[in-house]
Amino acid sequence: MVLARRKVVYLLLIAALVLLLSPFGWLLITAFKAPSELRAVPIHWWPHHPSLDNFSQALTLFDYLGYARNSLTIAGLYSVLITLASAWAGYGFARLQAPGKRFVFGLMLATMMTPQIITLIPTYLLFAKVGLVNTYIPWILWGLCGAPYLIFLFRQFFTNMPKEMEEAAVLDGCGQIRIFWRIFLPQSWPVIATGLILSFSWSWGDYISPALLLDDDRTTLSVKIATGYVNEHGSGLFTLVAAGSVMYIVPVLALFLVLQRGFITSTATSGLK
Amino acid sequence: MPVSARGPLDRRRFLAASAGVALATAALPGCAASVDSGSGSGGGGKTLTVMTLVDEWDAKTKRSIEKMLDVTLRIITYDVTKLNAMLASKNPPDVVRGIGATDAPYFAARGLMTDLDPYFAKSEVLKVSDLASANDVWRFDGEKQGTGPRYGLAKDYSQDSMFWYRTDMFEEAGLELPSDTEPLSMDEWLDLGERLTRRRLGKVKVYGLNATGMGVFSQLMWMTASAGGSVFADDMASVDFSSPEALKAIQWYARYAKADIGPSLLNPNPDGWDGPTYQASRMAMSCSGFWFGGVIAAEPKLTEVSRFAPAPQLGGHRVSPCFGGTGFWMPKDAQNKEAAWKLFEWYFAGQPAKDRAAAGWGLPSLDSLRASMPKENAFQKQAYAVQEQEAAYFSVLPVSPYAQTDALNGVLSKVLPDAIRSGTKPGKIADALNSRMNEQLARGKELVG
Repeated sequence: MVLARRKVVYLLLIAALVLLLSPFGWLLITAFKAPSELRAVPIHWWPHHPSLDNFSQALTLFDYLGYARNSLTIAGLYSVLITLASAWAGYGFARLQAPGKRFVFGLMLATMMTPQIITLIPTYLLFAKVGLVNTYIPWILWGLCGAPYLIFLFRQFFTNMPKEMEEAAVLDGCGQIRIFWRIFLPQSWPVIATGLILSFSWSWGDYISPALLLDDDRTTLSVKIATGYVNEHGSGLFTLVAAGSVMYIVPVLALFLVLQRGFITSTATSGLK
Repeated sequence: MPVSARGPLDRRRFLAASAGVALATAALPGCAASVDSGSGSGGGGKTLTVMTLVDEWDAKTKRSIEKMLDVTLRIITYDVTKLNAMLASKNPPDVVRGIGATDAPYFAARGLMTDLDPYFAKSEVLKVSDLASANDVWRFDGEKQGTGPRYGLAKDYSQDSMFWYRTDMFEEAGLELPSDTEPLSMDEWLDLGERLTRRRLGKVKVYGLNATGMGVFSQLMWMTASAGGSVFADDMASVDFSSPEALKAIQWYARYAKADIGPSLLNPNPDGWDGPTYQASRMAMSCSGFWFGGVIAAEPKLTEVSRFAPAPQLGGHRVSPCFGGTGFWMPKDAQNKEAAWKLFEWYFAGQPAKDRAAAGWGLPSLDSLRASMPKENAFQKQAYAVQEQEAAYFSVLPVSPYAQTDALNGVLSKVLPDAIRSGTKPGKIADALNSRMNEQLARGKELVG
């Protein structure tokens, strides 16, 4: 009975896995197909002549690595800054006392409900007015502001750390900055890993901000992949889009594989207590 | 836990490090990576900003434009959100790519476009007398499209309700080919579409007909006009789908969609547009204008079996409009209008215009370039002859300045699928469309004033 139940559970899990992985699988298969196979009837479930041509063309139709460098610069800067800034803010909310702290924390969490699209045009107008359009400064400023969700995660983590650690540090002559930097931050590795993964993958995949703020030569891979794989008449080259997209997800996948242990620990332990 | 009081990071060091980071980030724009797109090396002190397709010009052409106009060319990839943001910040591009038939009234009514008449008046290159009548889609007199000042120019255009068909599929089905001169009725067209559709296991294998090449709203406007009516009221501030002519158009579209003989709102084309489907021999008739000949010409086998036909008609009024007229316009707040106009002269009358005319991807926007249209093989000769006869039936079908056509198409996408599936009566569909669209138009009118 137990075995049968377990089999059913496994079958359901396998079905769910297939369902979740099928779009990626189809993307991968498409990346190896010839353009003529894309719309073949009956459908070619497997490329008849698998080839790496799409990958080489995807790399050379435009300066793929150059745009990847732009994406990496933006996502790297943004993810490091936002993770540190969120940790700092989370520490403040968790360990320091100030009048109105709860209200400010609630207010900050409420901003998570504001869709990004609503603030997009006003943000553009602001950056245009101070001459920051077509620079990477907006990502630095956004990074320095922290992210409500990450601040919340850090706050939860720091709240659960024993008070004795902080008291011992104070007795040893530490100020708040050093307590944060030397004691709390090194302990919060799982949340840092989560922050880096979430913010990096968000920034790496963001289309609308770079499309709005950056010119073509400074834009990111996400924008370029969406707009760059076209023939001379503007028609989409979908096998190249597939190959470009497969390569596009590699950095995020690599980051996740490196930091996954911290990510899983953090999501398992940062719940409300 | 003992912590050294002389640890590596005290407050002073932390502040110094923070200042370092701030300085480094402030310096970042200077060293921000820039991918070589062939622009930015221009000679002049002025920058000409053009918002267009990402690969409108290759690096060599960009450099020659910069040399010719003595400017630095800045290309911004067309994105409607970015365009709106730039217009709102009063720092728009100098030249913007747009679709005359749908963009002109919307932007002109909001005072965002530059009146090009003074530029035409002093130009030695671009003359109003040489402009094809389809350029009138870029005119707006303050109330209606089609007359008044010119706000843009089409790079090429087509009469988008004409259609291409596959002679081999007609022959296979034992059907007579459509006339080169006399338009089919919409009922005849639908009947042909049904006969040409091929199915396997209940699924459409070969579409008989795609009747909605440029969007359903345009299709309904055109059918209503050919039945002798108009979707818009005279002041363009409201729609009326409950007129007998518009009801007839809705009825026809519902029959077409329900017959499942081609892409529709109920069953969109997975390819996104007709080109790949037609090339893959999976479509017998495509409602596309002359420009589609460029797609066909790319495949020698297709040229042997493809022919062009006049726009079908729902009623007695022969109408053959243009729903595109893609070209360029200048925003009112553009910084560098003289250089922008020079770009217009080169792009619309110079070598690029001659190359476009000869390529067959659309009709030239200057009448003087019509002689360059391709007429080498039988397919091109037939298409040219049909097109020449059709030109007489061109007229501008004005759209409202109070709502973008995409928004009105959005209403159709919401209302029609369920209504058609459930067999809702055309009158009720018309009421729903009137109510939703007129709400949008009223809001737009309030904004425009």
